[in-house]
Amino acid sequence: MLNLIKMNLYRMTHAVSTWVLAIVAVLYGLMQFGIMKIIMDDPFNIMEGMSEAMGLSEATAASVFTSIIRSSDFLIIAAIFIVLFSNAEQKCGFDKNIIGITKNKWKHTLARWISAVIGMTGLVVLAGGVALGASALFLNAFTAGSATMFLKSLGLSYVGLLAFSAVFFFFTTLFRSAAGGIVPSLIISLGILYLIENLMDLLVKKLISNPAVLPTDFFLDSQVMNFDFSSGTKACVILCVLCAGYIVAALGGSMLLQQKRDVK
Amino acid sequence: MKLGFRKHPYERMLHGGQKVEYLLETDSITKRYGAITAVDHVSIHLKRGEIYGLIGRNGAGKTTLLKMLAGLAKPTEGSYRIFGESEEKTASMRDRIGILIESPGLFPSMNAMENMKIKSLMMGMNDEAFMRELLRDVGLEEVGKIPVKKYSMGMKQRLGIALSLLGHPDLLLLDEPINGLDPQGIVEIRELIARLSKERNITIMISSHILEELSKIATRYSILHHGQMIEEFTHQELLKRCCERIELRPSDPVKACTVIESMGITDYKVLDKSIIQIFERLDDSGEIVLELAKNNIKTLNIAVKNEALEDYYLSLTGDARSVG
Repeated sequence: MLNLIKMNLYRMTHAVSTWVLAIVAVLYGLMQFGIMKIIMDDPFNIMEGMSEAMGLSEATAASVFTSIIRSSDFLIIAAIFIVLFSNAEQKCGFDKNIIGITKNKWKHTLARWISAVIGMTGLVVLAGGVALGASALFLNAFTAGSATMFLKSLGLSYVGLLAFSAVFFFFTTLFRSAAGGIVPSLIISLGILYLIENLMDLLVKKLISNPAVLPTDFFLDSQVMNFDFSSGTKACVILCVLCAGYIVAALGGSMLLQQKRDVK
Repeated sequence: MKLGFRKHPYERMLHGGQKVEYLLETDSITKRYGAITAVDHVSIHLKRGEIYGLIGRNGAGKTTLLKMLAGLAKPTEGSYRIFGESEEKTASMRDRIGILIESPGLFPSMNAMENMKIKSLMMGMNDEAFMRELLRDVGLEEVGKIPVKKYSMGMKQRLGIALSLLGHPDLLLLDEPINGLDPQGIVEIRELIARLSKERNITIMISSHILEELSKIATRYSILHHGQMIEEFTHQELLKRCCERIELRPSDPVKACTVIESMGITDYKVLDKSIIQIFERLDDSGEIVLELAKNNIKTLNIAVKNEALEDYYLSLTGDARSVG
């Protein structure tokens, strides 16, 4: 398994797409900082009263970092990275050179996902680190904030991102193509699925008065993107359980597909 | 340079105190995709040191068969044994099987060494000197940092073979390695395969739809057609079948054999209990007919035949017009 992860990390660091997406992540971090700077510090006096109206009087380390990880823009970057990376071996046919050698083909899938998560974490660190560093240095409204809150919001956002990565990975494995992986991943990232989920909620509310649960309670994007980090422990545990469920289902499905299917 | 090969598992494996006869054998191996049977009850036998030619037109089932042996596809029916062990038990020895299935799978934006390194990391070996040696063996030592996407088809095939040699394989499965190559490339690959067999004592199974090409290196063949194995034969048998011969149809084949032997002819063969093929004294057809007549045996038909390899292949598959 360790050899497989080493192999995947080697090809990741030698792929052009990885470095292109790393640059995009840095630019995205800078862009997020720029937006915060314009809204909060208002250096050009064009946003008078806007930050107060938006409830953005100060930026903490937690809010800066989570604003990066939880944004749909970053989710798109992560989706592109996961899909391109996990489909690369199959696309060029290199998988034929290596999969037959291993007794348990599912190990390839697990190692690929772990490596993809390591790569995605690198992108998170780059984008979040750049935004956080720039904010700490150049944003007047920046305060460090609570360390507990920073770790809590960062941890929960990261768990959500892991679950998303497993789902994107599953679609790529299922359809065995970059297009097959990227289309459903973008439907989730761009919020199209979120709209459908809300329509389903409306339909359920029409049919049942005061329903105990709604469809959005079970959808990853609704739960992760709308999670309030000031929620109590129970809500945090429920979110973690939901994310873990998605990871187990998506990753288990991917591993099963790899083990049972023939290599094309 | 001599490579430090590990002891061949085939040499270590004993079945009831007996060395296994075949390095690779399949027993009625079958692969179905829905209603389509890609490989239909194929039984092949490959001895150590052989270069085994798998011949068949496109879609005959060659790639599917090789994929099953390479562990890339699961047989629907039947089984196979490699190094004398069953499919399940060979899992731990799969690094001793080198694979080149269809076109070589390479990362196009990486160079030859980087592609080699990816597979070697997966196999838990990172011997750059050995990788460089393999690249030199396949004639790619000068490519440096040129990305694979700029390689010719022949260079890609050679890199694919170098990749398949990374685990010091005892068995090499090569699927159409000369496909898409120019005549020069075909000669290079052919010489490389022959060298690998001779110098490294690697057993090789190689598929192609060109019998003529395979006949220059293979020692044993099988012909696949519509997923079924039509025939398995040695190189000597192939030469015999395609060489010049007298082919006659006597009224009494059994008695005719006695007469032929009494003439001192020993190199002959009876086909379908009715046709006698004689491979010697090709200028004495008149004398043979006369001798048969003296013994009251009518010669119903006689001809001197000489079949080209491709004609022989087509006569076996009976599908002349569909062969590309």
